[in-house]
Amino acid sequence: MKKILSLLNLIALLAILLLLYSPLAKIGLLPSLPSLFRSGTPKIEETPAIIQQVKNIAQMFTQTFYDEYVYDTGVMRTPPFNANKRLIFIAKGEVIAGFDLSELNEKSIIRRDKSIVVKLPPARILDVVINPSGFETFLEEGEITFEESKKFREDARRIFDRNARDKGILKNSAAQGRQMLEKFFHLLGFETVDIIIPESR
Amino acid sequence: MNADPQKKSRARKRLFILVAVILGLLAVNVAVPRKKVPPYVSARTLKDLAELATVQYSVTKIVSYKDVAWYGDRKILFETAATVKAGIDLNELADQDIRLEGDRAVTISLPRPKILLFNMKPEHMREIFNESGILRSNFSNQEKDGLLSQGEKDIRAKVAGMNLLERAARNARTLIESWLTKTGFKTVHVVFKGKGGRP
Repeated sequence: MKKILSLLNLIALLAILLLLYSPLAKIGLLPSLPSLFRSGTPKIEETPAIIQQVKNIAQMFTQTFYDEYVYDTGVMRTPPFNANKRLIFIAKGEVIAGFDLSELNEKSIIRRDKSIVVKLPPARILDVVINPSGFETFLEEGEITFEESKKFREDARRIFDRNARDKGILKNSAAQGRQMLEKFFHLLGFETVDIIIPESR
Repeated sequence: MNADPQKKSRARKRLFILVAVILGLLAVNVAVPRKKVPPYVSARTLKDLAELATVQYSVTKIVSYKDVAWYGDRKILFETAATVKAGIDLNELADQDIRLEGDRAVTISLPRPKILLFNMKPEHMREIFNESGILRSNFSNQEKDGLLSQGEKDIRAKVAGMNLLERAARNARTLIESWLTKTGFKTVHVVFKGKGGRP
């Protein structure tokens, strides 16, 4: 009887400690209990970064579109046992639009005294950026291979591109490009500045 | 003879108090709300830019990780690639940075170049090796993301020492000189703010 009572006392003391810890962990003053048993952040090995190509470019970025998208693959059944797989991730990134000025040639700039005419190429999407740090896995069920995951991410990039176009990124990009160059050429002393930009497809 | 029942009653009392404390703490635990995660805010916005990218570096890196334990190892190896663009932010160009000397000569003070864009496309990444011991779980997508993010951070840090900004400055000078010559200027001086000389 005495032994049972001592054991009960010990259990009760442990329960008290646990119950004292729990609200402090809940409000974020102490780490959560499961995190105490998890190993630290894995560290990759030191390897060099190698330059493969250096390219001279002339791109004018005039518009950016920040986006966040929740990508859900839905339940996928895989043969031969029809196992369920599903991946939900949040993608965060940006779409950059502007002009490729390397397309300008001698005929693109016409000057007459204090007047100038600049013919730009159409505004286009120059980059869709979603880096690894921009992906956050929310749900992962079943074995999803790297190649499968890559396809979903490429799809997310296409969605970003489409969303940016729907939001009018190309129209805004052209307007901002025109405004920027008009200001620049006025500062260079031109009184009349005409920026011609074909409509983007 | 009387000591034993007394001890027992004391122990019972202690247990009763402990149970009461436990019940009290349980009530506190139920009452304390879990720390709230910040609400999901959509960042779907368009923003004006005025940047001129003048150089693009393509960089590759092998990302490798070994998780060694007495009950089995896990090893993974990726080949990754990043595109980095650098140039000048024309928003930092003020009116007084353009000085006209007559009709055909101009001096422009450009801002110092900086990295404008860093892009690691999924299609340029490859999983070369992935192996886990019988008693180990396979690498999850979340773990792979964590490793690739470290690779990204490492490339970002290493790119800074790759002469990228010097090259961006040189190209920006050539571009501006060439454009302004096309617009009819005979003499074009391009300098960079902070430093007077040629980069």
